[in-house]
Amino acid sequence: MATHREATFLSTGKFVDPTPAPPETAHPEVGATSAPLKSAAYFIGSYCKDYNEDFMLCKDENNDPAHCLKEGRKVTRCAMDLISKLRENCEKEWEAHYKCLEKNNQEYYACRKPERTFNECVFSKLKLEKVIPDASGTPIHLRENTIYN
Amino acid sequence: MPVPFEALIPLGLITGFFGASGILFQKLKVSVNEGQPPRYGLDRWDRVMMERDLRLTGTMRGQSHQTTAPAEFSTNSAWDLETEHL
Repeated sequence: MATHREATFLSTGKFVDPTPAPPETAHPEVGATSAPLKSAAYFIGSYCKDYNEDFMLCKDENNDPAHCLKEGRKVTRCAMDLISKLRENCEKEWEAHYKCLEKNNQEYYACRKPERTFNECVFSKLKLEKVIPDASGTPIHLRENTIYN
Repeated sequence: MPVPFEALIPLGLITGFFGASGILFQKLKVSVNEGQPPRYGLDRWDRVMMERDLRLTGTMRGQSHQTTAPAEFSTNSAWDLETEHL
């Protein structure tokens, strides 16, 4: 029977693994935390679409953690590539947007103004656009008036 | 008949004490969350992401937009301590 009990030791504070994995298996990991990732989510989705889909299809075959390590590394590398591009080009707007998100429980609706400047910066410098799939009518992030039309 | 101002004194006291404790509570919550309002309505995704933030930055609500994780990130996960409970 599968329990949905959550992990108990993960948020107990500082922990250092006494028996770490051998250094040959070490790969670089994405260093961005949750708010910058949520802010750049749609751009990561469109920039890394092929690698992400590869990984999801691979996981669909077999959910074992050891199965899709290669595709997972590709996903990580692609995300790190986009993050370094964003840091080069649009760092200030990105920071403004994710700091606003952090103040508002990471809800998109509360931070449309910084989001607009960030999207414009990314579109002009990196040619990436935020597209909400299956949006009917004007997408929510492009509407001027969300309360009444 | 003039306004019974003595009756308004306890009203003012009650409002004042409620307000003071409310403001103090809000300041306490904001200071625990490093100058931001607390997160609410967290589901498992948010809890797991916040635990990852703690491992990356060392504080509960700290955020960073580094490209690569710091070196401690590879060894500070307590996941291996978890046991299977059947």
